[in-house]
Amino acid sequence: MRIMDVAFKDLKRVFRSPFALIMMFGAPLLLAGLLYFAFGGLARGGGSFNLARTRVVIANLDETNSVTGSFKAGEMLITFLQDEGLVDLVEITMAPDETSARSAVDQQQADVALIIPSNFTRAALTPEQEASVLLYQDPTLTIGPGIVKDLVNHFMDGFSGAKISARVTNAAIQKNGATADPSLAEWAAGQYAAYLESSSHAAALHVVSPSGESVQGVSSLAMIEPIMAGMLVFFVFFMGANGAESIIHEDEEGTLARLFTTPASALMILAGKFLGVFVTLVIQAAVLLAASSLIFHIAWGKPLPVSLAILGLIVAATGFGVMLMSMIKSTRQTGPILGGVLTITGMLGGLMTNGIPNIPEVMDKVALTMPQGWALQALKLSLAGGSAQAVILSTLVLVALGILFFVIGLTLFRRRFIS
Amino acid sequence: MRILVLAYKDLLQILKDWKSGLFLLVMPILFTLFFGFIFGGSSNSKPEVDPRLPVGVINRDGGSLASSLEKLLEDSEVIRPVVLDGQEAEQVNQMVEDGDLAAVVTIPNGYTTQLLADQPLMLEVLVTTSQPAGQTTSRAIETVTGRLLGAVEAAHIAINAVESRNGPMDAPVRQPILEDNLAQAISAWEEPALTVVVEKATGEALQDPEAISLSGFAQASSGMMVQFSIFGLITSAMVLVLERKSGTLQRLMSSPIRQMEVIAGHVVAMFLVIFTQQLILVLLGQFVFGVNYLRQPFAILLMIATLALWAASLGLLISAISRKEDQVITLSLIAMFIFAALGGAWFPLEVAGKAFAAIGHMLPTAWAMDGFQNILMRGLGFQSVLMPAGILLAYALGFFGVAIWRFRFE
Repeated sequence: MRIMDVAFKDLKRVFRSPFALIMMFGAPLLLAGLLYFAFGGLARGGGSFNLARTRVVIANLDETNSVTGSFKAGEMLITFLQDEGLVDLVEITMAPDETSARSAVDQQQADVALIIPSNFTRAALTPEQEASVLLYQDPTLTIGPGIVKDLVNHFMDGFSGAKISARVTNAAIQKNGATADPSLAEWAAGQYAAYLESSSHAAALHVVSPSGESVQGVSSLAMIEPIMAGMLVFFVFFMGANGAESIIHEDEEGTLARLFTTPASALMILAGKFLGVFVTLVIQAAVLLAASSLIFHIAWGKPLPVSLAILGLIVAATGFGVMLMSMIKSTRQTGPILGGVLTITGMLGGLMTNGIPNIPEVMDKVALTMPQGWALQALKLSLAGGSAQAVILSTLVLVALGILFFVIGLTLFRRRFIS
Repeated sequence: MRILVLAYKDLLQILKDWKSGLFLLVMPILFTLFFGFIFGGSSNSKPEVDPRLPVGVINRDGGSLASSLEKLLEDSEVIRPVVLDGQEAEQVNQMVEDGDLAAVVTIPNGYTTQLLADQPLMLEVLVTTSQPAGQTTSRAIETVTGRLLGAVEAAHIAINAVESRNGPMDAPVRQPILEDNLAQAISAWEEPALTVVVEKATGEALQDPEAISLSGFAQASSGMMVQFSIFGLITSAMVLVLERKSGTLQRLMSSPIRQMEVIAGHVVAMFLVIFTQQLILVLLGQFVFGVNYLRQPFAILLMIATLALWAASLGLLISAISRKEDQVITLSLIAMFIFAALGGAWFPLEVAGKAFAAIGHMLPTAWAMDGFQNILMRGLGFQSVLMPAGILLAYALGFFGVAIWRFRFE
């Protein structure tokens, strides 16, 4: 009963503290929302993009002559990029020459300069001519210039394909004993152009997401899940240490010594405090799971696997917090413990980089040297729809680590306060 | 003079505290290493490993066009095919989700036959299109598929031309000619007539493009400098809060020193702490991580001075509104997370949504990142940091004004 009294008193203290409430509920939801807002811009339902428009400045140096006639490939490329369908992707302006276009990028007035060479039309029409369009880009950008490059490549592949078609047709005619006349190449290129107009390359692909949904059904929600899992683990560990800090507070304020003079044994008092931390984390995790399900529509998985993952997380976080606090002497030292140690171990545990694609494989192994890494793995398995068997190994590791940390912490506290 | 004495006292107090070293130097160095490694390491030159995005290929067809598709994928500048065996094919969802593969292309059985019969089967592409790598991969696969389909069409056009001149051919005669046409067309796509050449702007460093830092550390080093200029405030702001809590601030008022001198003394100390931190991180960035800060030393000096001024004004504000030590930690942590994340210290604002990028640029941290990147990545000169530095200075004055307004000595 005395254990419950001590735990209840600590719980009241925690839930009356605005600082604790912010760190328990406000900060994880705020940060997850912030990152969701950031990366949510990349994809919306239907696969359309919500990126800022890429500012493209074009210098059209393309020249025509009597051979090319009125055909102007450079102008066709500009018209293609100015198409209404691309208005959300690129913003086109014109520059009189290459120097001005480059200068616009250097001055950050444009993200990309597109320099169309003087022989562009000739290369598009003449069999043996080649040409390269220059993309001069702001080196800090990747996505916008990538989109422009794709668009220009897509356009130019039409011309290249038509030239290939003409060349292959000429070769086939000559190989098979027929006579190639000058109009043949033009005819083949025309046939190829007609094919391009009537076909869609995208229609040749059936794109699906790893969850099995067709891409049209995929939204940015998928990104919030690992981000929220990372925030949940970080702030549960934070509160584990913060809750255990009450022992140091009471020691400094003298109330702990007074408590030890009561009939309650020292062990009971410490047990009550640890129970308070455990219950705090259970409430925190439950609220965060429910809130994130409501706000971000996260499906955390089946009840049993997610319960196992949360159980492991809470045991490990309680033990970790108790151990950390047992190693410090005063509340003045709690700053670096809370801010420093938890940030570093969280970083190594993969909480800060969770959701970033193509992370080196070694980082996954490093993550599993930290309890946070195991907790994150358990939650991700549950999020992915894993069964209890899939999660149980992580849970067992977390519980074992939690008990180990707890025993170390308890031993240090007992030495300090009891003996 | 009293201001300097106070600042000196604060500096001694901060430097004697081992925690200062942790927040000011150890953590930013560790984070720079960590993020620099994740975002591509230190090499400015062409990496030894293939940097193209890995795309798994499951070939259930085995025909000539499936091989041609693999060849075209191999020729891509963006993606590299990784042929998956049967066992690996069962784990493709996990491999894409874990980022081991950017996508997986499955070539269905009968793909070659159907395509040659002008009844193409669809390729199945497993990809996470909500991520930039997934979008890039998806577009690259679309380009490659377009080239393959174009080659098939070119082969058909050519054989139609032959037939229009020589008359219809029987299937045994027609097939080898079609395959020969196809081989020529696919081979021609190795060197298309019209290409795109990408050149990254090097600004004023045009004469020496090597001076530009485009490694993963260019973003990580400057980003962590900005982030930890805020986190480093914990110990500095704590000094003021403890002085207020212990009554030292009030006792100081009984001495001839004026209130503004007390505040100025603390601000000078905070400024010197952050400025020194930034200076050390710049030197570490230059000589350990290979980020060329010293290409424009005066511009970098101006940036770190104005960043330190803004950080000091933020530190004063935090200490002005905090009553207890834990409030300093909470406010510093929250300020660090918000200013760093929104300002582009963790990831370039380009990858964020339109609204996020716009909001981010209302924060001083985004301008600090702009200033650093103008020098490090864009190769620009001293003039390019005047605007970011000016904005940082304006923010510093604004924060300082609010801090003075909220400051209490009791």
